[in-house]
Amino acid sequence: MLKEIADFLNQKIPAAKAQAVEVEVGTGHVKIEASEWLSVAKLLKNTQPFDMNVLEVVSGVDFKDRIEVNYMLASFTQNTEAMIKISLPKTGALDLVEVDSVCALWKAANFQERECFDMLGVSFRGHPDLRRILCPEDWEGFPLRKDYQVQETYQGMTVNPIEKVNQRDHHFYKEIQAKYDVKQVSFSWKGDSEGGDDEAADAEA
Amino acid sequence: MSSSPKHIKDENEDTLTPAARPREAMKSELLTLNMGPQHPATHGVLRVEIKTDSEVVAEATPYLGYLHRCMEKHSENVDYRGVIPFVDRMDYLAAINMEWGYVLAVEKMLGVEVPKRAEYLRVIVGELQRVASHLMFFGTYAIDLGAFSPFLYAFQDREQILRLFEELSGARLLYNYFWIGGVWNDATDSQLKRIEEFCDTMDENLKKYHSLVGENSIFIGRTANVGIMDTQMCLDFGATGPVLRGSGFARDLRKAKPYSLYSELDFDIITGTGAKGTLGDCWDRYDVRMREMHESLKIIRQCLAGIEAGPVMGKVKKIIKLPEGEIFMSTECPRGELGYHIVSDGAAKPYRVKVKSSCFTHVGMLPEVAPGLLIADFVATIGSIDIVLGEVDR
Amino acid sequence: MSTPTISQESKAHYIVQEPLTLTGWFRNVFGAIKSVTTGMGITFKYIYGVKPVSIEYPEVREVLPENSRSRLFNDVENCISCLQCANACPVDCIYITAVKRGADAPKIKTKDGTPIRLDLVQYTIDTALCCYCGLCTTVCPTECLTHTTDYEFASYTIGDMKYDYLAPDIRAWRHRIVK
Repeated sequence: MLKEIADFLNQKIPAAKAQAVEVEVGTGHVKIEASEWLSVAKLLKNTQPFDMNVLEVVSGVDFKDRIEVNYMLASFTQNTEAMIKISLPKTGALDLVEVDSVCALWKAANFQERECFDMLGVSFRGHPDLRRILCPEDWEGFPLRKDYQVQETYQGMTVNPIEKVNQRDHHFYKEIQAKYDVKQVSFSWKGDSEGGDDEAADAEA
Repeated sequence: MSSSPKHIKDENEDTLTPAARPREAMKSELLTLNMGPQHPATHGVLRVEIKTDSEVVAEATPYLGYLHRCMEKHSENVDYRGVIPFVDRMDYLAAINMEWGYVLAVEKMLGVEVPKRAEYLRVIVGELQRVASHLMFFGTYAIDLGAFSPFLYAFQDREQILRLFEELSGARLLYNYFWIGGVWNDATDSQLKRIEEFCDTMDENLKKYHSLVGENSIFIGRTANVGIMDTQMCLDFGATGPVLRGSGFARDLRKAKPYSLYSELDFDIITGTGAKGTLGDCWDRYDVRMREMHESLKIIRQCLAGIEAGPVMGKVKKIIKLPEGEIFMSTECPRGELGYHIVSDGAAKPYRVKVKSSCFTHVGMLPEVAPGLLIADFVATIGSIDIVLGEVDR
Repeated sequence: MSTPTISQESKAHYIVQEPLTLTGWFRNVFGAIKSVTTGMGITFKYIYGVKPVSIEYPEVREVLPENSRSRLFNDVENCISCLQCANACPVDCIYITAVKRGADAPKIKTKDGTPIRLDLVQYTIDTALCCYCGLCTTVCPTECLTHTTDYEFASYTIGDMKYDYLAPDIRAWRHRIVK
């Protein structure tokens, strides 16, 4: 299925450089060039053997140097599914990356692309109403990026104020360390006064 | 609707007295109503800004995010087992089905084989959860339309399911029952017997409930020909589940891409008929859910007949590490198809968990379907797509 | 945002009903009578035929099933401070500090015979954060950390929700553990 799509795309739009990636475990995908995405989408939706009449989800994934946007296309009439992957090079934590919107083809793209914009900072060219959807309008940064930093103040309120972060157990740890030999003490929680409770996941004795 | 909180904004304010304004200008003036976030008819914390012309909705804009709990971000910081409690909290009315998709995706990546008894238990529990979720829909939808007692009847039956789940999994709502490789706890014979008895009484009760609500002339008047979502619209928006089936399009993932034991089981795909009005109206969506419960009970009976003794947990390593790669796995949940896109970089924690939520797509249909509806009918439409805001906002 | 107006061409999702005919009127009357009689019939059946299912809470207390997941309890005498529960916890609400026992200290064992090599100096669970998922109790090797079936533990301050299992007062509800 993926191979057919890739061959077909290469025949019609050589600039898309479609490349089918079949995998042993998990879901394979077709990788295409970001610049040709809109014409590829049009073709896949309107060509009969594929007939991708449903856009299931737009799923963005952040990597160190790039943001990958995965489009799960499905044909409910043919009962097929295909993942189209677009890779967008990233410059900074707060910089937007751009790709064409497919709102005109699938109305489902409206909300899905807004979510992707909100969470990963992917700007969709030609989207009719590109606003944040889950975060408040005035939120800064894109939460699902790996290099995301929580803003310090929001609307005059301190985010994660120090008095709300668990300090008591941290002090207890320090006391015990002072009392006994440091190497003898094991602790389940890295009581970091700068970080919040969420940082504790890595605490491995 | 007079009890709904009103927030009136005068958008085109002018200095003329009402009498001095031309009639046409008065007609075109739209009133902004703010429905939600705390409103009993929005089934949670959904806020919809409605622009109305007298009582007719001209435009509806949903505002989401009031229940956003960063579930996807949290999942990146816990191990694969630890994601399951978070997943539970998305759709708190069908937590079992939420777990199922995630667990299936991870198992598929790991190549774990689930014991047969565990598969049977999963289907039984999953279908019971579907019944419980649809009962909740039945009750709350009746409340939306002004009938109170069906809610109590529905809860009486739902309570039995919850009680059973409590004995099986230890919790009433957020189960953490499906584990990677099987299920947490085995069911005893007496519990299975109780499920069988429940199926029999439930079949009778459902018929009674349908004659009470579905055939009621007021209910038909409120729902038939209201909020029509035709097949083309559903496909455009990627709607799934009872919303798509209510429009007459037969697609059920349990048949289309059978997972678990569904390929061996005998059941029908329920589609809307348009018996009381137009195909794809609120009554059809209600009817699809009611008839789906009978199918679920049919599936449960088949599983109870076929269940065999054996272990309920497969062999899974203590620290779960998925091979590098990604997977997209969908399952059929009570409210539609739920997909998990899990990206792994080979570490003990998921690199990315993206949830394709059906409720999220269904909320996207509201601005399209709202223009031209009366406000009371808009409430009926919101109720009929049966959203859970926990799943919309995640 | 500009103010929209309803255009006449906009898709009519709301279908205006046809004018009422005489047969239609009689059908309506018949439908109403039928709806009322079925509805009332079922209601009366519930009044006399169905036993009440709700319980009067403060007088009658429900006993939860045995494996119900409610308040956590750690039997610190059997704890070997392996930190597995804290690592399994998805919300990180378990705080443990342990100090290595000296070589000359007397050797102690748990109930099932596992030697205790670490002295527990802190075992705190912030129950306000706990999500009662049960992941911590299943990894516990000595089964000292258990979910009890005790569900009445509301408190006035959030600080009270933090349970120090080494404190003596916590033993007051030890007897409630289901074994």
